[in-house]
Amino acid sequence: MSRRSQMRRFAPLVGVALLLAACGGNQKLPQNYLDPKGPAARTINNLFMPVLGVAGVVFVIVLGLCLFVPLKFRARKDADEDVAPRQIHGNFALEIGWTIVPALILIVIGVFTLKTVFTLSKEPPKTALSVEVIGQQWWWEYRYDLDRDGKFDEIVTANDLVIPAGEKVKLTITSRDVIHSFWVPKLNGKRDAVPGRKHPLWLQADKPGEYVGQCTEFCGLSHAEMRIKAVALSRSAFDDWTKRMQRTAPRYSADDTSLAAQGYQVFTQQLCASCHVINGVNDKQTKKFTADGGIKTPGLQVSGRAPNLTHLMARTTFAGGKFYLRKNTKECNALGLNWAQKPADLQRCIDRTALEAWLRNPPGQKAMAPEPVPGRTGRRGMPNLNLSEQQIDQLVAYLETLK
Amino acid sequence: MTDATLAEGPVVVAPGDYDDDHPVTNTGLSNNKLAMWVFLASECLLFGGLISTYLLYKDNNISGGPLPRQIYDIPFTSISSFVLLTSSLTMVLAVSAIARGEERRGRTWLATTAGLGMVFISGQVYEFQTFVREGMGFTTNAASSAFFTLTGFHGVHVTMGIIMLVSLVVLSLRGRLGVERAETVEIVGLYWHFVDVVWILIFTVVYLIP
Amino acid sequence: MALTETGPLALPSGDGAGSPRPLGVFARPRTTHGWRSWVTTVDHKKIGIMYGATALFFFLVGGMEALLIRLQLATPNGKLLSADLYNQVFTMHGTTMVFLVVMPLGAGFMNYLVPLQIGARDVAFPRLNAFGFWCFLAGGLVLNSSWLLGHAPDGGWFMYAPNSGVQFSPTHGIDFWNMGLLFTGIASLTGAINLITTVLNMRAPGMSMFKMPVFTWMTLVTQFLLLFAIPVLTAAQFLLMFDRLFGAKFFDVSAGADPLLWENLFWIFGHPEVYIMILPAFGLVSEILPVFSRKPIFGYPFMVFSGIAIGVMGWGVWAHHMFASGIGPYSVAAFSMSTMLIAVPTGIKVFNWIATMWGGQVRFKAPMLYAIGMVAMFTVGGLSGVTHAVSPADTQQTDTYYIVAHFHYVLFGGALFVFVGGFYYYWPKVFGYFLSDAGGKLNFWILFVGFNMTFGPMHILGLRGQPRRVYTYRSNYGYEFWNMVSTIGAIIIGISFLVLMANIAIGYARAKRLSAGGPLTAPPDPWDARSLEWLTANPTPVHNFDRVPTIRFGLDELFYRKYREDEGGRLVRVATAEEVVEKGDRTDVHLPSPSYWPIVVAFGLPFVGWGLIYNLWLALVGGAVVVLGIFGWALEPSVDDEGGPLHPDHGQPPTTGESGAAEAPVEQEAALVD
Repeated sequence: MSRRSQMRRFAPLVGVALLLAACGGNQKLPQNYLDPKGPAARTINNLFMPVLGVAGVVFVIVLGLCLFVPLKFRARKDADEDVAPRQIHGNFALEIGWTIVPALILIVIGVFTLKTVFTLSKEPPKTALSVEVIGQQWWWEYRYDLDRDGKFDEIVTANDLVIPAGEKVKLTITSRDVIHSFWVPKLNGKRDAVPGRKHPLWLQADKPGEYVGQCTEFCGLSHAEMRIKAVALSRSAFDDWTKRMQRTAPRYSADDTSLAAQGYQVFTQQLCASCHVINGVNDKQTKKFTADGGIKTPGLQVSGRAPNLTHLMARTTFAGGKFYLRKNTKECNALGLNWAQKPADLQRCIDRTALEAWLRNPPGQKAMAPEPVPGRTGRRGMPNLNLSEQQIDQLVAYLETLK
Repeated sequence: MTDATLAEGPVVVAPGDYDDDHPVTNTGLSNNKLAMWVFLASECLLFGGLISTYLLYKDNNISGGPLPRQIYDIPFTSISSFVLLTSSLTMVLAVSAIARGEERRGRTWLATTAGLGMVFISGQVYEFQTFVREGMGFTTNAASSAFFTLTGFHGVHVTMGIIMLVSLVVLSLRGRLGVERAETVEIVGLYWHFVDVVWILIFTVVYLIP
Repeated sequence: MALTETGPLALPSGDGAGSPRPLGVFARPRTTHGWRSWVTTVDHKKIGIMYGATALFFFLVGGMEALLIRLQLATPNGKLLSADLYNQVFTMHGTTMVFLVVMPLGAGFMNYLVPLQIGARDVAFPRLNAFGFWCFLAGGLVLNSSWLLGHAPDGGWFMYAPNSGVQFSPTHGIDFWNMGLLFTGIASLTGAINLITTVLNMRAPGMSMFKMPVFTWMTLVTQFLLLFAIPVLTAAQFLLMFDRLFGAKFFDVSAGADPLLWENLFWIFGHPEVYIMILPAFGLVSEILPVFSRKPIFGYPFMVFSGIAIGVMGWGVWAHHMFASGIGPYSVAAFSMSTMLIAVPTGIKVFNWIATMWGGQVRFKAPMLYAIGMVAMFTVGGLSGVTHAVSPADTQQTDTYYIVAHFHYVLFGGALFVFVGGFYYYWPKVFGYFLSDAGGKLNFWILFVGFNMTFGPMHILGLRGQPRRVYTYRSNYGYEFWNMVSTIGAIIIGISFLVLMANIAIGYARAKRLSAGGPLTAPPDPWDARSLEWLTANPTPVHNFDRVPTIRFGLDELFYRKYREDEGGRLVRVATAEEVVEKGDRTDVHLPSPSYWPIVVAFGLPFVGWGLIYNLWLALVGGAVVVLGIFGWALEPSVDDEGGPLHPDHGQPPTTGESGAAEAPVEQEAALVD
């Protein structure tokens, strides 16, 4: 008897332990969606938690029965083997009961589910910020429509989705190549980025802060390293950010001998500029390249696309979020997106080692398929440009000016 | 289970217990015929998938080239459809002839059915060639891929049917298609009628509905 | 009840009436022993065993892949596998476990048991049955040959377009996936046609549909699901194949293709597929629980109809795999509701299983532990399944480890647990010796602990947002501890299967010793069982039943042949197992002859597959083998006049001259000999 009751107590304990383990310590769990930081994710969580509770109760009952019934009715050592127990073929009322009761419970859950589905699918207000989210192997591009003309061309950035806190932001999610899925767990559920389709989703962060996520639809080689970060800023900081983002980068004349200018020459003369755009430098040549979404342009789907670098130093990560551009330390993180604005901060916080390693050999840093397969596919990802150490130093110096 | 049977005591199956008179199969259909019905049920889903694909892509020529519906020759296809439908009739005649033991007549109808099937296939080959000449190949656009796949799959089914029919004719020539083989002919007939019905569906969906 | 012997195209076999000389060139093989007898066999029992053995082999392969995955993920930033290799490994793990392990294990049990449970001597089309097995093997080999021929498929078992297109998956891996699964699809389809015909047409006298054991019912539902689901996958795979090999535009987004076409087609197949994998296990557990509780299955009609309901409703829930795909709120709402409701028939089953034990005399033999464990573990998976049906919550859960936990609880804790339990239960039936009960219990507890350690923590990892199909994770996300636990659990699962293998080896060695060189025979009806398969001797004789049984008591026929009520209303034993169970010593039953052709036809298929990938000439050679094989098959004499495969001494040549002599009714013939 004692063993049985022990085991009966054991099952719910495991369940509770699981739940506690899952909920606890949210500070260190940046992708834990049971700790929502925005209304959409909270709505989902408020629906999920009671369902989990109901499931937990059923779990305890059924597993309890699975232990209790066989132990209670176990064959006694002294039982007469030649006498069979009463052959019960069923009990109609009982069975109808355990058909109808679960059905009712599920219908109740279903009603709340449907309510939530339609709550979440409500369009954000027309005045909401509208951002196009474009997935491609293996990074995310964000394009902002600030003047509400339906064209997402005012700001083009990557890796960090910058949004104003406390406001609904309307996302239009699509892809340039394969199916990806956009997910910031603490702000909302995921939505697939499907080439040729535009899927709506809205995000709202309660407070300024950085919320991470990652691509969640298997999208090939570096699916694991296609990361997402939503950076929520206060409204005024967000306005400053948009203004800054719309500035173009300067050009350098050929006789400028500063290190950054030499880096500029490397950028424009090497392969960099054939894929990366820097507004004010090569955005005019590649107008067609960047404006049409690329989906219908043959050849651009696989390669020829790389993050816009105009304001690289206003981002916190690079290479699809795999590497920190801003060192992942408390003091640097505290600077937010302005970490590179003051030269001292920049020098202190830039992860130059990572950036140099990347420029030295990108495919060695992140799994990509940068070499074309003749007759089958083009480049996917950044190839090794065989830059010299000098060129790398020059390039880094130039990139540091892209604030 | 009644008390009476229980009262009989332990049932140890004795020699002679076997009931000789029960029907050969539980359903009354022979295994072969039942299996053909089951197989055809499965085929419905195959064609269902392909027809759905076609319906999704029928107006999609984004990558260039004409759409199937822009270059159809409806009168031509109507005639070849009529030929295929006629072959269902000759198939019925063949089945009933074999069932009556008229092997010679049955053979004639079987050969006619196979011949009509070949006419249909030739028509399809001609049609495909014309389409390719007019710039709509298999890989031209999504609609053409879906069109050739759907009608091609049907064509392959007709061809398999023709092979079966010709095999029956050969058997018949060797005197092995008597009345005792009537069911075999009937089963091939089932397949043939199914392929015809599918064509009616395809003809309607692909060619007639705008 | 004729044993027909013609292929699906129903081309007549040679020796019809009035034609004593068969058309076939070769006589049918007659071997009964050695490897040749396995290669040419058409016996549903041997085929069932081969399905089981092959599936176990692939289980080893898929299990190794699982261990590689777990070792890679044991620590953050794992270095064991590259991203490329990891993607191949998890794709092959999923594909192998679904198509080459769980499905064929189910097929093995179904092949072996269904004819026995309905009182038949074989399936309706024995050669087709053999062909199905060889097709499955061919598919498995083609799929796995990709490891040796360069690059395994790397698009995930769900193979979403356009990632599966040439442009994004330029290696041949996905072509191997396509070919391999097309061949296993042929196996499933022929198996479905065969078993449906068998169940509908070949039941013993007195066995109406509602006297069939639950396992047979679940088989029937499973086979209907296969019958309708496989062609949808086949259609989708042809589209993908045409895209990849011939440049069609089905999934070419630049040509305006819609990637959701693949998603929909795949899941219209894929969700019924889930039930295809679990329903045979539902059936097996419904056999084991009553036997070891000494009670009939509780609520037989509810069990049958809930199985049918699952089979029907299983077609209306596929889009719950696509809640995050952007299918629009109305579709999401509808599929949420349908998914909720499919939990109802499943719940009925769980409660009925528990009620089956209520009031019984539960004997804790090894198979029973697996059965009870399955009910519990499946319930865990079912409950997390309900939380997925809550579609807003699913948009958080989908493609995280929470889902991985869910389907492993359902398919491993559900299906595989019972299949292993089924091994312990049916081993004496199939091989004539017992696996050690203590060893079985040890096996169970190691497996149970390892299983829960592996997949339990995945719930937590999923809730913490660890995505599926990632080869690496960061160190500061709270994933380290539970991933390590999970990896240790996976190793324990590996150990539990070593225990199973050791059990088999030790049991065999002991049985060999005890039998002193004679044939291995287990005592009749060792578990005090209830259904017809135990009416035959152990191991099952090649002809199954000495006399085809007549059903008098309905469900639990065997049980009521052994027990009846005494004056006090108690059920007491009135006949011993030895009295009831057949001796299996009959030697005059004429059985369908073995055949070379099924393996010949299937042998051509891999070459067609490789040929389509590498060189069309090779495909032509393979195609020629297939065509020749089919003709050989069609023209093969349907019975061997020179003597049956089993009984060279039988005095009665097969009767000819009656209608369809090719399908000589063996029962009638047996009766003649009496």
